[in-house]
Amino acid sequence: MMDTNQYMGMFLEESREHLQTLNSCVLDLENDPENLSVLSEIFRSAHTIKGMSATMGFTTIAELTHEMENILDLLRKGQLKASHDIIDTIFRCVDTLEQLVESVASNNESSIDSKPLIIKLKALAKGEAVLSTPVKAEAVSIAPGASSSIELSDTEIAVIKKARDQGMQAYEVQVSLREGCLLKSARSYMVMNALDEIGEVIKSIPAVEELEKENFSLSFQVIVISGSEAEKIQHTVLSISEIDQAVVLPCILPNDATGEIIAPKSIEPMKKDDEAEKNGNVLVHTQTTVEKKNKSGQSVRVDIDKLDTLLNLVGELVINKTRLEQIGLTHKLTDLVETIEQMDRVTTDLQAVVMKVRMVPVGQVFNRFPRMVRDLSRDLNKEINLIIQGEETELDRTVIDEIGDPLVHLLRNSIDHGIEHPNEREEKGKNPIGEIRLIARHEGNNVIIMVEDDGKGINADIIKRKAVEKGLISQGEADAMDANEAVRLVFLPGFSTAAVVTDVSGRGVGMDAVKNKIESLGGMVDVETKVNEGSKFKIRLPLTLAIIQALLVKVSEEIYAIPLGSIDSTINIMPSDIKTVQNKEVILLRGQIIPIVRLADVLNIPDSDNQHTEEELFVVIVHIGEQRAGIIVDNLIGQQEIVIKSLGKLLAGIKIIAGATILGNGQVALILDIGSLIQ
Amino acid sequence: MLEKSYASSEVQLVVFKLGKEEYSVSILQVQEIKRITDITRVPHTPDYIKGVINLRGSVLPVIDLKKRLNLPQQVLTEDTRIIIVKVDELSVGMIVDAVSEVMTIDQENIDSPDVVAGSVAASYLSGVGKLDNRLLILLNLEEIIGVGQETKVV
Repeated sequence: MMDTNQYMGMFLEESREHLQTLNSCVLDLENDPENLSVLSEIFRSAHTIKGMSATMGFTTIAELTHEMENILDLLRKGQLKASHDIIDTIFRCVDTLEQLVESVASNNESSIDSKPLIIKLKALAKGEAVLSTPVKAEAVSIAPGASSSIELSDTEIAVIKKARDQGMQAYEVQVSLREGCLLKSARSYMVMNALDEIGEVIKSIPAVEELEKENFSLSFQVIVISGSEAEKIQHTVLSISEIDQAVVLPCILPNDATGEIIAPKSIEPMKKDDEAEKNGNVLVHTQTTVEKKNKSGQSVRVDIDKLDTLLNLVGELVINKTRLEQIGLTHKLTDLVETIEQMDRVTTDLQAVVMKVRMVPVGQVFNRFPRMVRDLSRDLNKEINLIIQGEETELDRTVIDEIGDPLVHLLRNSIDHGIEHPNEREEKGKNPIGEIRLIARHEGNNVIIMVEDDGKGINADIIKRKAVEKGLISQGEADAMDANEAVRLVFLPGFSTAAVVTDVSGRGVGMDAVKNKIESLGGMVDVETKVNEGSKFKIRLPLTLAIIQALLVKVSEEIYAIPLGSIDSTINIMPSDIKTVQNKEVILLRGQIIPIVRLADVLNIPDSDNQHTEEELFVVIVHIGEQRAGIIVDNLIGQQEIVIKSLGKLLAGIKIIAGATILGNGQVALILDIGSLIQ
Repeated sequence: MLEKSYASSEVQLVVFKLGKEEYSVSILQVQEIKRITDITRVPHTPDYIKGVINLRGSVLPVIDLKKRLNLPQQVLTEDTRIIIVKVDELSVGMIVDAVSEVMTIDQENIDSPDVVAGSVAASYLSGVGKLDNRLLILLNLEEIIGVGQETKVV
C-alpha cells in the first residue's frame, strides 16, 4: 500500500484551500447563477478534492464530492438552474466536507453522516434533470439544419451569444486521440486544460467525468469560447502528444441557421424558492474577481516554524552587525566600517525578503466572512450587504493567525446587534439592506482593519447607566465622561453579559476579549459610533512583530527605543514654552495644542532632574491615530534598526513597555508603547 | 526525576550565599551561573525585580533575591553572581551574593521548612537541609518567581 502519510499535510492544506474557494465561489454563484466561469471554478475545486481524497483513500469525501460534481455538471450544462435549494445543498455539502476534512486532520473516526446529503443530491440531479429535458429537446428541434452536432441548452446558447457580443467566438473542437493511446483520460484532461487556458470550455461530449472514466472510444467534442483564432485553437490541441486530429469548427447557433430569434427561455422548476428568497436575501459582494484567484505563480509551501527560525537568525545577524558597527566606530577602523556598510545593505535586503515571505494578504482571513455573514443574516432574517475592501493588504503571518477570532466577534456583533431588521430600517428611512464594511489598509507602519456598520449605533447614555449599575464606574465618573469615552466602556472586562446585550444595542459580547487579543498583538482597538447611523470599530495592528526602525533616546542614564512609525518629528523647546492647561502640561506646535509627557516621570526614572533645568529640552512628537503628544527626553541618540524581543511572561503586565531590544553593546533597551504612553 | 535513577534518596543542590546564610536550589532547576552584567531597569515593576539582562540574545528578567526574601541589602561585590534558573519553562536570573558549591545531600536530611521560623516567609521555602553543622535553606522557586501570578502594574 502506498504510504500516504507524507502527503497528509499537503492534502489537508490543499483541501482547506479548495473548500475556501468553494465557499466563496458558491456565494458568487448565488448572486450570479448564470456565471459560467464561477461554475467552472467550483467544478475544478470540487474535482480536485475528489481526486485527492480518492487517492488518499478517504472514500466518504470522494463519494460526496462525486455526487456534488454531478449536480455541478448539470448546472454547467445548463440542465439545472442554480435554485436556492441547490445552492443551499451545495453549501451543506461544503460544510460537511469541511467537517470530514477536519475529522481527518484530527485523526478522529468520522461520525459524520453524509448519506442524507448524497440522497438529496441524487434527488436534485434526477428531479431537475427530468424537468429540463423537454426544454433541451426543444432547443434541438429549433435547429434542424445546424452543422454543429452538439445539442445546446438555452443557457449555453445564452453564454455563446454573450461571448459573441464581447467579440469572442464559440468553436466546436472535435478531438481524436491516436489509436493505441494508453492514457485516454489524461490526454483528454490535458486537452481540456489547454483549452481552458486560451478560452472557456462550456461543454463537452461525453461529459467530463465520462472522459475521466475513459468512457469514450477515441474522439470527443468540446465547445469552447475563445477570443483566439480557430487555427490557434487547433494548434494548441495538436501540441499535446498522442492527439491524432483536431477539427475546429465555428459553433453555429440554432437561430444563426434559421434566422429566427429564440425568446430566451428560463427554466423555472421551483416557484417556491423565489418566495424563500424574499426572507433573508443576502447579497455578498467582494471585490475579488474570479480571474484573480486563477492567477497562481510557482510556489513552495514552507512550515511556518522554519520561517520563524529564519527570522530569528536574521534578527541575530542584525544585532551582531550593529555590534560590529560599534566596534568599527570606537576603534576607528575605516576598512571595517566600509565592509560593514556593504554587509548592512545585504542584511537589510535579507531582512526585507524574510519579512516579505512571512507576509500574507489579509484576504486569507477575510474570505471566510462572506459565508458567515450570509448564514448569520439569514438566521436572523436580516438583509446585509458585506463589502470587503483592501483584502490584498499584507500582514505578518503570526498576526494573521490571531486576528480571525476578534474579527468574527466584531462582525457577529454588527450583524446581531448593529444592523436592524429590514422593516425597522425602513421605518427609520434607511435602506432596508444593511451594510457592513470590512476594510483593511496601510497607515504608516500599521495596518488598519475597520468593521463598519450602518446599524443603530451605541447609545452612550445606556452604556453609562449599565456601567454604573454594574459598579464598573461611579456616577460621578459617568457624568464626567463624554460620549466617546462612554462608548469605550464596552471594552471593560465584566461589562458584557447577556442582559446588557439585548438592552443596549448589544455591543459588549466579549469586547474585552477582543481588546485583549488585539493588544497582545501589539495593536489597538477603538470605536466610534453615532446613534442610528452606525458604529465603526477600528483595529490598528503593527505591520510586523519582529524588526522595526526606532529612535533611541536617553533619559538620565537609561536608553529607550521609540518606534519610528509613531514619530512625527523631534523639536527643541525652552522650558518656558511649556504652558499648563487644566493642570496639564502642553506646548503649542504650529497652532496645535500638544500634551507633554515627561518620560522621566512616567517611567519613575531615578535621580533625573531635568524638570528644573533652564536649558533646551528635546521633545519627540509622537502620534497614534489622531492623537498627538510630545515626549520630553534628555537626549536623542539616533535612529537604529532594532529586533523586538519579548519581555517574557513574568513582565508581561507592563503597559507602557512594548518589548525590549538588544543594543550594539549588548545592553538591553526597552521599547516604549506609545499608545499606552499617551493615553 | 533524573537523580532518582541512580541514587533515589539523594538530591544535588547548588549552594549560594545571601548575607551570612546559605541557601540552595536543586541543580536540575539551574541553567547556568553568570557574573553580574548590565541590568536594565524596567519601570512599573515590583522593587524585587531588578530588571532585564541579555543572555546570548534573549531578554531575561532578573530578581533581586534578597529583596524578594526581605533580607538586608548589601553592595555588589566581586563574588556577586546571577543564577539563571528555569521554572515552568520560564528562565529567570536571581542575584545572589556568592555561589559556594554544588553538593549532594540525602533526602533524609531535609526537614520541612516550618522547622525554622526565620526571617523568610515560609511559603518561599521548600525545606531545610542539614549537613554536618551547616543549615541549607532550600528555596521554593515557583513561589519566589511567582509563576502564574504575573506582575501587576504598580
